[in-house]
Amino acid sequence: MQVTLSQKESRLGWKLITPAIGVIGILIIYPILYNIYLSFFDVKLAGDNIFVGLANYERLLTESGFYDSLVTTVIYLAGSITGTTLLGLAVALLMNLQFPFRNIVRAIILLPYFAPVISVVFGWQFFFDPVNGIYNHAAVEMLGLTDNRYNLIGNPGSALVIVIIFSIWKNFPISYLLIISKLQSINRDQYEAAAMDGCGPAARFFHVTLPEIYFVLGTLVILRLIWNLNKFEEVFLLAPNVKTLPVYTYYTAFTGIIDQGYAAAISVVQFLFLSFLIIFYVKKVLKW
Amino acid sequence: MHGKRTLIQSIMLGAAILVLLLFCLFPFIQILSTSFKYQFDWGNPSLIPQKLNTDAYKELLGFTEKKKQEIPESIKRLLDNPLLPEDKKLQILNKYQSAGDVFPFIRYFINSFLLSVVAAFISLILSIFGAYSFSRLRYKGRTVIQRSVLFVYMVGGVLLLVPLYQMSVKLGLATGMWGAVLSLLLVYIIQTLPVSLYMLGNYFRTIPYSLEEAAAMDGCSRVESIFRIILPLSVPMLVTVFVYCFIIAWNEFLFASVYLKQFPNFYTLPLGLQSLFVSKNAIWDRIMSASMLTLVPVVICFMFAMKHLTGSLVEGGVKE
Repeated sequence: MQVTLSQKESRLGWKLITPAIGVIGILIIYPILYNIYLSFFDVKLAGDNIFVGLANYERLLTESGFYDSLVTTVIYLAGSITGTTLLGLAVALLMNLQFPFRNIVRAIILLPYFAPVISVVFGWQFFFDPVNGIYNHAAVEMLGLTDNRYNLIGNPGSALVIVIIFSIWKNFPISYLLIISKLQSINRDQYEAAAMDGCGPAARFFHVTLPEIYFVLGTLVILRLIWNLNKFEEVFLLAPNVKTLPVYTYYTAFTGIIDQGYAAAISVVQFLFLSFLIIFYVKKVLKW
Repeated sequence: MHGKRTLIQSIMLGAAILVLLLFCLFPFIQILSTSFKYQFDWGNPSLIPQKLNTDAYKELLGFTEKKKQEIPESIKRLLDNPLLPEDKKLQILNKYQSAGDVFPFIRYFINSFLLSVVAAFISLILSIFGAYSFSRLRYKGRTVIQRSVLFVYMVGGVLLLVPLYQMSVKLGLATGMWGAVLSLLLVYIIQTLPVSLYMLGNYFRTIPYSLEEAAAMDGCSRVESIFRIILPLSVPMLVTVFVYCFIIAWNEFLFASVYLKQFPNFYTLPLGLQSLFVSKNAIWDRIMSASMLTLVPVVICFMFAMKHLTGSLVEGGVKE
């Protein structure tokens, strides 16, 4: 049988991609669908699952734990995304200036992003430790802001704030990297022209820089929404009492009264949010 | 940005950079400092230890003598019995020496290292062929594949937590020791595969087609040209992708905690550290030195691959 060149190419293409597609299909696509299926069942750890229809979703709508978790997630997302993007922008503007040892500084500030969460959380926990931590030493003994030493990570309200600050610290480097690569592509002539028109540094920022990086900032916000919605370790390992959606799912599925059907329902809701964000990203940013 | 700075501007710039560096490095300095401190020194806000304590590091790296556990007289007499075979003696001794408060750092380190290396390697192999296929070959369905890769790479691990666990339970993998390790390995492969496909795909597209065409004229088949043209040109990128996958697996905690909870012998470093922290043996110097030793391989990998890593992150190959 005669095989044309393009048929040959097509066959080879499928041959080479099949292993990867197979793995992704079995271990990502199928689980996503299986998760939806499980969300309609009372999942037993031993024995057969019992079909319960929409009962897991009804429970979702009535349980305050889910709403609390939703609120926590929204605050976490809003705080961490605003902070990460603004700090990333500020650092990018700073690193775009000329100064000695700039390359070393640029490398060092990437460290928080790559460091294992499990290691760095202990540094943060020690910092806020009620007995030994520098924070309490500074707030109580040195500055006299409060009379007592507080366990800020022990209290879910203040822990959420610390989780947000931690998230900003951990993730601003990637925002900075993406912003600075755009900043460096801005034509210097534009600044010269703006300066000739009598624009000061602030005006130059708003009239030249900002319009150029506007798109990158938007992309970063959407990507960070997608990523932070999935974050588990950065929240759970620092403050297990801050229950964002992933943490709430984990508790429901593996601790206390284990209910993996309900956990599956929470994951489905989270997946819907996520799909919406991803589709938005793909349509608006990648312009498919 | 233009012209010379005034002295005040220079000072402000310097101060801003110092504040930034302090903000970035402080948690690391905190960890390093506490790992060298004795207990009486913990509450002291100074970062320089009053007296250098290296016990924790020695203990973790196995430089200290194993603490002799109390062995009851009757057992000692039993051990002195020359009729008892050697392996039996060892068994009994081990029973008394498996001290619960020792943190088996080296064991966890090896577990983490093996899992991460194997996962990163398999992921790299799969993605070399996969990425070559969708970035350089033309066929029907290619666009769909490319888009699905992008989609799955944004679906986070936590969404797959329940279904993947249920799948291993149904297959009987979750209860056995090796089954759990295999499940975890598979999880690490799928957590790294989409991003390596994506990164490599982007890179392969930048290699000029003329090189492959020239090779084809010389009688090179497409598969041969992967090995002779594409791979040699991509070595730095292959290393980068490998390192990135390694770091993802090395840092992972969630799935390790779900699958390996009952198998302390197979704990990875993050899981071991977490369980040390919540145990009664949580001593800050030990936790901090273990954290430090968990950090070091990542920092080394990072310095090794930084140049290409930052470049490819900017091109969109970021997975969190």
